[in-house]
Parts: sequence; structure tokens; C-alpha cells
Amino acid sequence: MVRLLLRFSEEQVPQPITSQVILEYKVPIAILVAHINSKGGEILAEVPDEAQEKIINAFRKRGVSVTVPKLIEVDAEKCFSCGSCVALCPVEAISIDKDLSVKFDKEKCVGSTCSICVDACPTRAIKSVKQTSSEQPANNRKK
Amino acid sequence: MSKPTKTRSVDEINEKIRKGDVQVLTAEEMKKLVESSGVEVAFKEVDVVTTGTFGAMCSSGAVINLGHSDPPIKIEHAWMNDVEVCHPGAAVDLFIGATNMSEKQPFEYGGGHVIQDLVAGKEVELRATAYGTDCYPRTQLKTNLTKDDLNQFYLLNFRNCYQRYNCAVNNSDETIYTYMSKLLPRLRNATFSGAGELNPLMNDPDYETIGTGTRIFLGGGQGYVIGEGTQHSPKNLNGTLMVKGDAKKMSPEFLQGAAFTRYGTSLYVGLGVPIPILNEGLAKKTAIRDSEILTDVVDYSVPRRDRPKLRQVSYKELKSGSIMINDKKVRVSSLSSLKMAKKVSQTLKSWIEEATFFLTSPVERLPTDTVFKPMRQTQEIPFVVSVMHPAVTCTENEEIRAIAERIVTKSVNHIVVVDGVGKLRGIVTSWDITRAMAEGKKALADIETHNVVTAKPDEPLEIASKRMAQHNISALPVIDIEMKVLGIVTSEDVSKLLGR
Repeated sequence: MVRLLLRFSEEQVPQPITSQVILEYKVPIAILVAHINSKGGEILAEVPDEAQEKIINAFRKRGVSVTVPKLIEVDAEKCFSCGSCVALCPVEAISIDKDLSVKFDKEKCVGSTCSICVDACPTRAIKSVKQTSSEQPANNRKK
Repeated sequence: MSKPTKTRSVDEINEKIRKGDVQVLTAEEMKKLVESSGVEVAFKEVDVVTTGTFGAMCSSGAVINLGHSDPPIKIEHAWMNDVEVCHPGAAVDLFIGATNMSEKQPFEYGGGHVIQDLVAGKEVELRATAYGTDCYPRTQLKTNLTKDDLNQFYLLNFRNCYQRYNCAVNNSDETIYTYMSKLLPRLRNATFSGAGELNPLMNDPDYETIGTGTRIFLGGGQGYVIGEGTQHSPKNLNGTLMVKGDAKKMSPEFLQGAAFTRYGTSLYVGLGVPIPILNEGLAKKTAIRDSEILTDVVDYSVPRRDRPKLRQVSYKELKSGSIMINDKKVRVSSLSSLKMAKKVSQTLKSWIEEATFFLTSPVERLPTDTVFKPMRQTQEIPFVVSVMHPAVTCTENEEIRAIAERIVTKSVNHIVVVDGVGKLRGIVTSWDITRAMAEGKKALADIETHNVVTAKPDEPLEIASKRMAQHNISALPVIDIEMKVLGIVTSEDVSKLLGR
């Protein structure tokens, strides 16, 4: 699965763009995070790897800005499991294991759109990194 | 039959260590044993209980001696990896303070990292300047050093091992960054520090065995308690230790530099104390559980020395991952590593079992009745309440024209919008009114700002002034906890008093 950050303008908000894309391409799109009001907003969506290119193009064709957000990675060498990050995570992707180690669940993490934990790490073990499987469309996008 | 002996001595324990039949349990294991078999059995079976903690301890540092350069220098200012180090003594003795920050990477790299790098065997760049004397003519110095090049490299921490610490929350509307880490607004998270039932001082709260001269686990090596720590406050269970140890023999695993965003740098220190079980009383004390160790939940958003305490919590609740505050479930994070604290107690246990670590009796007891006094201040600082004045107000159903008239007659720039009982609804400025006139708007609702930045009466004026600058605004309505408007403070009031 690849995560995409979709940004909608004020004019696009009333249009059923996401539904249209799902119906037209018959691809399941999971909405992980959405912050939208009448002035515009963002959706963090997850799409299957093989469909990412056509989905990205479909949204862009409709004028939606699509970026591939960075993922959060933890440097196991630097992390000594203090746990400062645990309670900050809004999607409970970080937890304390039975052996008191801090455990990080990449599947749950919503990536750089959130990043709330990054500056709370006292050893700077948490970093935003590029999603490898989607480098191509991310690099090709218009700036 | 003679009565079984009710005490044992440190000498007897050391003899057992030598013979290889000493019985050592970690604090965690001891608690389980007392729970299952009782104090009497635990006393009979256990000679030593090992404790441990691993947390950010800002009042840490290292004393180093560089040896003399040729020609010799009497250092006046010095930097190691661009972190200013203090020069408290003669020519080439330096003190690396954990919280001093790099001039090139402030808030990211500091004295704690320099200590960790040296302990890890890395090369560190030293720069120094001096005024030059007849006996120490040199005025400039630059060299690279490792710990092997230093004559002495001693960790010297004047306050470590806090017995317990506050749980921190933020009840304001904005995220704050503190030494208790990042605190989200409106109680969205909580942080705490300390190992609870594993903490050395919690297991010997009467300082029966921990005193000056007690040999301890320090930073992965062996060190000593050299006295009470600064701010030692044993009466209210806030004891601390002053410790030293040979940093050349320590490990970077148990001494780690740390960076707290917008606060600064620090050093995580691993510290463990062996508690000799000299009597049944100590067996009982080392059985203390997290549920019996209480601490306060403190609102760090209040910029005062005495911050509001929202409730008491036990370390058991803190370690569970969430606590209840005002009927709200708040997720809580530990800042110190409980995993590493456990590792400290286990490592110390193995050292004693392998007879590489022997116990000492203190040569002097630590004070058990001192309290931590606040600072004597001979100069008062101004608070918001001392400069605020009555606010000119309006209600939401008034016409813009009427408000414009009030701005002129009262000669003010800010009108505070209140409801029927005087609670804050919004704010309108003379600029908003001007714009409304220009754009032909008539309703107050179209121009009023609802998201108002406010001040509290007991806040230091300096903090309120900073908030105005941060938000690029020139006045703050002053409100009480029920949002009732008490007055207004403006940037003019601030500049009159603080002279800026």
C-alpha cells in the first residue's frame, strides 16, 4: 500500500472527487486522516501499490494536488526506549512492549503529515524519510 | 536452639561476594519475593538488592584535566566541539556542563553529547583562548583530544537520582516545550520521569545504607556517592545524590546526550545503588511498590514557581500508559527509560555475583531533614495584574457605528466583546472598524475576532509581553478561569513599565 496526501482547494471541496475516482477506476481507497472544511483541506489516503500511478494521475487531472508524504523511521541504534513519543502519537502507532522496549508500528503511522513525535525524541532517533515504492510519481510531480 | 540473627553486616556480605555465594536480587525480583514469601524469608535469603534509574539528569557534568601545552596556556575561555566549557580552576582544568549548548548547533548538541562522545572514545575538538601571562604566555589553542589524552576525566554530577518527580501536563491552548518534553494543549498528553519502585532512594528512604562513600553503578562504570545532591529534600521524598566516577571506565550506553526541543541539551545517566539488606526493616523497605509511590500532576503552562497541582497519581498509574484528570483519560509517557533502569539493576546484580563489585559502608550519613528553599528575591517583578486596566467592552448585538464612536470617545484601540455576564466572546480593533467602514460591512460578527489571545492576572508581565510579540498583536484581554473579562493589558502598558 502507498500513502498519498491529497490537497483540496476551496472550489474542490463541494465536488465528489474522491468518490468519482473510486468509481471510475474501481480501486479501493482507504481514508486514514481527513482535515476538511469549506475553505479546503487534506486527506491522507492509502491505495494499492499497483494502482498508485493511475490514481495519482486521476486526482491530478481533477486539479487535486497529490504528494507522497514521507514516512517516519526510527533509528534503533539511537533509541533507548524512554517512551517520550508514546503518548503523543494520535493513531497509537507507538507502544511499549512487554520487555519495556518502545515498539513502532509502521502500518499504523500516518507519516510526515503528522510528525508530532519527531521533535519530542531526546536522542533524535525519529526521522521523516521518503516512501521508496512511490519515489517515481513523487519525483515527477510538478512543483 | 539459638534465635536466628536479625542483622547482617556489609563486611559479611563482602565476604560472601568473595566466596561466590552472595544472594543478590534486583529490586523488581525482591518485591515479588516479599509478596510471595514475606519479609522474614526475604531477609533471610537476600543479602543485596540492586536498584537502578536511567533518566535525563541536567545537573551533570565532567571534570577534565588536559595537561600542559607548550608554550603553556592559562585557559580563559574554552570550547569542546563548539560547546562552551567552563574554566573554574587553574590553567588546564575544565568542567563540561551537560546543558551547555553548541554555538553551531544549539538545542541539538551540547555538553551531554561531548561527554558521551569522549566516553565512546571519539575525538573531540578543543579550542581555547587566554589573556597570556608571564608564566602562561600562550593566548590561542586548538587541538583534538580523546579520553586517553586526558589526565583525569571524572563524571561529577551535583544532582542525580531524584527520588521521584512531577508528572507534567499543559492545560493552556498552545503546545509548550519544556524539560518535561513536548506538552500538547488542553491536557492532550502527560509526561513523567523516574523509575518509581526501582529508584535507589525509594528503596532506602531513611538513608540507612546510602551515604557519602557508598559505591554505586554510575554510567556503566563504578562511582561513589559524595554527598547529598543539590536541592536534596528528603523530608518530602525528593531526595537527590551528588556523585562522581571515573568516566574513562564508563560506557556510552549508560551515558547518553539528549536534546529537548526549545529547552536545550542534557545527559541521560544510568545510576544504580546496591542496598545491603542489613535488617528486616530494609527487606521491608525494598519491597515498596509503584502503587505506594505518589507524585503530583502539575500544570507546566503556568509560568510561575508554584504551578497548579491537578491531582496526585501513583507510579503504578503513570506506568499504565494513561491517567484520569478531571474525568478525562490522558495518555502518559515516561521520559526516563524503564527498560534501561532495569538493565542498570541487572548489570549491577551480575557485577556483585561475579565479585567485580564490592559494597561499602557510608563514611557519613546524608541529611534526612533538609528542605529545598525557594530563592530569596530582593527585587519584585511586575505581573499582569499590576498594569492591567478596565477594558472598554461591547456586546455582539451592537452596531459597528456605535463601537466606532466608543473607540473615539474612550480613545482606545481595542474593544473587548462580551456576553450578558461579562464573559469573553471576541475582540475588535480600530483597524477592524476602519476596514469594515471601507468594505461597507455593518454586522459586528463579520469583523470580530473570536480566537482571542488572552492573559491571566497572575502571569508575569514579561510572559504576556512575549505572547503579544509572538502573535504580532498589541493587547490581551485579561480573563479569569471562567473566561470573565477582568481588564486589558496593552503593549503601551508594557513599554511604560519594562521600558521597551
